[in-house]
Amino acid sequence: MITNGDPVKSISQPEILVAEGLRKSYGPRKALKELTFSLKAGRILGFLGPNGAGKTTSIRILTTMMEPEAGHFVIDGIGSEYPEQIRNRIGVLPEGLGFPKQMTGLEYLLYYGQLYGRTAREASQKAHSLLEGVGLQQRAKSLIGSYSRGMKQRLGIARALINDPVVVFLDEPTLGLDPRGQQELLELVLRIARERNAAVVLSTHLLSEIENICDDVLILDLGQIVARGSVSQVIGRVQKNIILKSVLRIHVPPLSVTKAREVLETMPNILRISQIGELEGSLRLELMASDDGDMAVAYEINNKILSALLRAKIPILRFEVEGGRLQDIFMHLTEDVIQ
Amino acid sequence: MSNLQNIQDVSLPKVQAADSVLPTWKLVLKRELTDLWIGGRAFTLLLIYSTLLGIISYTYAFTPNLSLVSAQEAVFEMLKNATSFSIFIGLIIGADSISGERDRSTLESLLLTPVNRRHIIVAKLLAGISPWPAAYLIAIPFLYVLAQGNAVLGPAMLWGALTGTTLVLGYTGLGMLVSFWSSTNKISYFVSLSIYALLLVPVELSGDGVDITAEILQWINPVSAVNYFLSKHLLYHRTLGEYWPWLVSSVLLAVMTVALLLNFAGSRLRLEPGLRRKIRAALRKVAGLTALFGLFAVSLTISPAYAVQSDQPQGDELKISIDTKFKQVKMGEVVKFNTDIINRGVQTSSPFIVALNVVNLQERGEVVDLEEWSPQRTQYIEALAPDESINLDWIVTTGLHGEYIVYIVLIPEPESAEDTTFPVDSSSLYLTVTPSARLNPGGVLPFVLGVPFLLLAITFVVYRRRRQQIDVGDPL
Repeated sequence: MITNGDPVKSISQPEILVAEGLRKSYGPRKALKELTFSLKAGRILGFLGPNGAGKTTSIRILTTMMEPEAGHFVIDGIGSEYPEQIRNRIGVLPEGLGFPKQMTGLEYLLYYGQLYGRTAREASQKAHSLLEGVGLQQRAKSLIGSYSRGMKQRLGIARALINDPVVVFLDEPTLGLDPRGQQELLELVLRIARERNAAVVLSTHLLSEIENICDDVLILDLGQIVARGSVSQVIGRVQKNIILKSVLRIHVPPLSVTKAREVLETMPNILRISQIGELEGSLRLELMASDDGDMAVAYEINNKILSALLRAKIPILRFEVEGGRLQDIFMHLTEDVIQ
Repeated sequence: MSNLQNIQDVSLPKVQAADSVLPTWKLVLKRELTDLWIGGRAFTLLLIYSTLLGIISYTYAFTPNLSLVSAQEAVFEMLKNATSFSIFIGLIIGADSISGERDRSTLESLLLTPVNRRHIIVAKLLAGISPWPAAYLIAIPFLYVLAQGNAVLGPAMLWGALTGTTLVLGYTGLGMLVSFWSSTNKISYFVSLSIYALLLVPVELSGDGVDITAEILQWINPVSAVNYFLSKHLLYHRTLGEYWPWLVSSVLLAVMTVALLLNFAGSRLRLEPGLRRKIRAALRKVAGLTALFGLFAVSLTISPAYAVQSDQPQGDELKISIDTKFKQVKMGEVVKFNTDIINRGVQTSSPFIVALNVVNLQERGEVVDLEEWSPQRTQYIEALAPDESINLDWIVTTGLHGEYIVYIVLIPEPESAEDTTFPVDSSSLYLTVTPSARLNPGGVLPFVLGVPFLLLAITFVVYRRRRQQIDVGDPL
């Protein structure tokens, strides 16, 4: 089970990455507008946003692959005017990273280890250690061309760690991986932050998963920040507005749907009951909005509905307030773009 | 999985690695060489190359008409083809060097390291020219067998190595520059191959004529200029002192591309290709045009064509010119050429005698018997009015094989037995007469078959060794 680390411990960490007013345009299109944020050592920042929001541009700027039009950033005390020194302190897994097919995983890491100024012996030690760390030690001498996508991503992460970075940037590391591969990779990301005390900037679309491992979250939309803070802060800040719209999602066994509907239709405050998509046993309940915006009233209505279903001995497979998850926050904050 | 931090607990690898930090350019070079050679691209290209050279040698040996060419000419042609294909190999590798890595998404991880970008460029350039020494070594057996013991082999090998290195360096660098600017690898290949094709055209167009524009074009094109120099040096024994300007364009190309790569591409190598801003594009266009104009202007001042023009006799009165500068024929063949005589004076000239002469360059002191060479070795001309000209045809039947100078002397008739006149001479026609000898097909065949097979064997050994180094079990 992936869980967040100790937030109290993280608060005492120094800020390892500070970005101020980063701007970038591609012709007339403003890809990034005044990006300002900071990140502490040992914390994982979920870098979120719909396609074209400016995530990859931000990462390319922060990894010195692209120059911003304006703004400045500091990594481990080194200003963005010293890109070569910054490169020594960061590890990056770029989106869609390519690998030389004719090299083995060990040769690949050995090569990059030496490029970072290690001796061949040191690089070899490090490469073996990292291959073991990412679970590739058995395939160390196999050609990378024979690796699965998940193995390549893990090798890419090992390559990003070859220089013991203080900040690790992972751009869509789970893209194209099966659920097990995604889970393993996210566990690896969590270990990087917790065991190495490295700050991790994680750009991904796996909202439900990163909710469990990210300490902080930054949501970008059309090149600007629409939400920033710890996961709980961001959810809390936006949640109220969404919850007051009052939508519940309930999953019951398909055979109990009719009975559940009968129970729910007798209850006040429920405006509409519908099925969620094609999913049998799933019900979406639209409730009457609270007039005075009182959260306590909204929570009480939810509890009453749940109690009524339980009294009717209807098995509840899932009971969810829409807006309570990071995914809902993301959809809410970026709905203009999505629409 | 183990703790990622506990690297000290991991046992040492079996390989005893040297405990020193290697310069980054060496590391990148090693990596590039591995990719090129172990990856198989270099071996594949060299295999095609050796097969091509074999086919050319075989054609020379077994085609009746071609087999009559002299050893010098066969060696020259082989050198030309070897260099030409080596340039192609360099250009292809150069064209893939940066845009290819962009397309394969492997460039970013290299750029993310603190390695100096210039070191990356240097390493890629050195790797790009690495097939050239191998290609040259492959060509040597073919040169040897075509030379048939002729002394041309030594100079051919020396000048082939020097000019080939310059050209391969220049064109590999050019390919890299194209690759640096190209947005995709396809564009890079297309542009590079177009340049290659374009630069081959003037080689075929230019002949022995004295047209200045053609000669300047030939001089500007590094490949054709080098070929011209080699033909002069290897076939007609002309010296470097006489023909060094023909090497200038190839040296310029090499120097300019390397300088641009190191100073321009080296500091600007990044993930995004090409020209980032319109203004930069415009500036570069202006710079390019200026460079081209400069090159053209320089060519006008130092090109041999210019030299030929300025070397023309500036006499005020009778002038004689010959329409052919050099010719290579087989023994017994007939050579035809003509001369123009013009009176540039303000007065009508006296009648004059025009005499043909042939000098043997190889057999010093041995007199050429003109009766055997030309039935019309002396022609008598009446007086020419001011600006009047006359055209004379000459026919020479070649006697023995060797190197000869043919020239015409115009002698104004003296007015009296006690008078004297000053003869005027034409430029010379360098005549190479080759023997009608056949190549030895039996001598060529072992090389034709042996070299590609040897290369295949080396490739096989390299791949076998590589397979022993890696796990080759089931992919997953």
